[in-house]
Amino acid sequence: MKNFSHLLIKEIKELLNKQLIISLVVMLMIFNFIGNVTKSEMKKAMARQKIALLDLDKSAISRNIVAALNMANFIIVEKSGEKEKVVNEIRNSDLDLLVVFPPGFGQSISSFQPSQLETYSYLRGISPIGARKLDIVNAVLRATNDFLFNDFLKKKVPDLDPNLLKAPIKSREFVVVREQMAEGSASMVIGSLLAQSFILPIILMVIVMYSAQMVITAIAMEKQNKTLETLLTVPISRGSIVTAKMLAAGLVGLLSATVYMFGFRNAFSFTTSDVSQALSGVAPIMQQLGLTMNTQGYALFGISLFLAILCALSLATILGVLAEDYRTAMNLQFPLVFLVMIPYFVSLFTDINTLSLPAKILVLAIPFSHPFFATQNIMFGHMNLLWFGIIYNFLFVSVMLWWTARIFSTDRVLTMKLRWRKKKVVL
Amino acid sequence: MAPVLEVEELKKKYGSLEALKGISFRVEEGEIFGLIGPNGAGKTTTLRIISTLLTPSDGRVTFLGFDLKKNPEKFREKISYLPEEAGAYRNMKGIDYLNFMARFYASNESEARLFVERAIGISGLGERLKDKAGTYSKGMTRKLLLARALMTKPALAILDEPTSGLDVINSLEVREMIKGFTKEGVSVLLSSHNMLEVEFLSDRVALIDRGVILDSGTPRALKEKYQADNLEIVFRRAVQ
Repeated sequence: MKNFSHLLIKEIKELLNKQLIISLVVMLMIFNFIGNVTKSEMKKAMARQKIALLDLDKSAISRNIVAALNMANFIIVEKSGEKEKVVNEIRNSDLDLLVVFPPGFGQSISSFQPSQLETYSYLRGISPIGARKLDIVNAVLRATNDFLFNDFLKKKVPDLDPNLLKAPIKSREFVVVREQMAEGSASMVIGSLLAQSFILPIILMVIVMYSAQMVITAIAMEKQNKTLETLLTVPISRGSIVTAKMLAAGLVGLLSATVYMFGFRNAFSFTTSDVSQALSGVAPIMQQLGLTMNTQGYALFGISLFLAILCALSLATILGVLAEDYRTAMNLQFPLVFLVMIPYFVSLFTDINTLSLPAKILVLAIPFSHPFFATQNIMFGHMNLLWFGIIYNFLFVSVMLWWTARIFSTDRVLTMKLRWRKKKVVL
Repeated sequence: MAPVLEVEELKKKYGSLEALKGISFRVEEGEIFGLIGPNGAGKTTTLRIISTLLTPSDGRVTFLGFDLKKNPEKFREKISYLPEEAGAYRNMKGIDYLNFMARFYASNESEARLFVERAIGISGLGERLKDKAGTYSKGMTRKLLLARALMTKPALAILDEPTSGLDVINSLEVREMIKGFTKEGVSVLLSSHNMLEVEFLSDRVALIDRGVILDSGTPRALKEKYQADNLEIVFRRAVQ
């Protein structure tokens, strides 16, 4: 035990070196920068939108619409003069939208003729956040039509609520999950679940990838620095050497992933907090539907994650033995990264239960897949799938650890190499 | 007197390649036993088996009465192995490396300190031990590793090409270090393709070629037997 802890400390110190600490700090700074830029862009997109308006009609109706737009959270910058001149003038301003009321606009509306107002959107680049500004065209039209419709109805039928006429049918929405039922919007429930689970796949991917990378690097560096042979002849069991390496890699990988996630969360906190705020009313519905994780659920998720990390570490240890140096070790990480990316993208874009059988088998054969779907399985009561994942990963880890221990206790730890030219493993 | 190490009919196969074809020799207490032979003769394989890195295909190795197959951990406790192309952890200071290795062999803190103090003396690296091993020259690294191998006063030090890649001055210093240590009761099993070096260092030598020991004895007896001036000629005549 004394020798084990001694070796473990050395392994942690080796992995937690200056280069790693610097790279983590730099990563935090980059995340901070990205976060600040994105937040300020989001703020701009969410703020009251400034639009230019040219009223060539000057009718009572057009003036009323301008007043209504002002009230509908737009900042109106009124322009005057010839249309072509104004269109050109705005090219060089910071305004992104020009609305033009053509002459006779009010007259057409009064006589129930189809009326057109003109909108000019100024595109100055492409970005997802910037694209939200273009929605203001639709918002302006919606606000204008709403105003005209309400105004017309008030004049014609003063006693009738325009909203009642616009939407005479109201609905009561119910959501059913297994045996539970609650009144509420299904889209809100789904939205809330997605908002809460948005960060989870990324955390899982980072933890698994970091841990695997650490252990491959640790073994490859022993080989590159020619220290492995000496280490294997000191009075400590081979099992302790493997365990110390895997444990150190797991701990440093977890630490790196925590730092990474801290930076990521800070950078993109606006997204989750805004959504959570918007969906805060859904919490009681979720509770009623049993879509919350209890202690047992968290424990099962923890077991699933722990086993997946062990799978990654044991696989990476074997790959590390195959590596002759640091460069080869980097190349050998690709199969692992690929295996982690598959469940990551599946969990982001689709539901595992809706995949075809061969695709489902393929995804579930990857040991890292199971924690990606564990929370969903727990919440929706797919316990068979959850337990299958836990048992599968347990068996996978057992076989891998047995194999790793065998490799380390035989000549293979020194003689096993990947020969790319012959494309086979030489044992 | 019982030998420290006894190797009997040792065989090693790598697939179809027979690296050792049944070699036998003994190392007595306090002696330097040299294995000499060209590259690929089976020297390193022999040393790697005795230091528990490789498993033998057949034959028997006993060290202080312990059988290699049954008690490899006993070998690791009392044997120090210096591989031919060994290195130290590049991010560790020389002194930290010695501390790290000493703790595996020491039963308590004060014994570990004693080992390290001895290693400081053996290495002769002085203040440079406070620098990271990654900044050392090849000669300095070799001295550090030799100090590591000898600091615990092992019952048997296994040294594979101890002066490999060193310049003349460093080679001489390392040879003196090895020679000096056997006076304190440490047995040494070393290998080299530099036969003059082995002749200078060894009490007894074994000539090994293609996995077979051709002959063994004291350098003087072998030179007389083959009527040669040095071991290089002895080896050539033994092969013929």
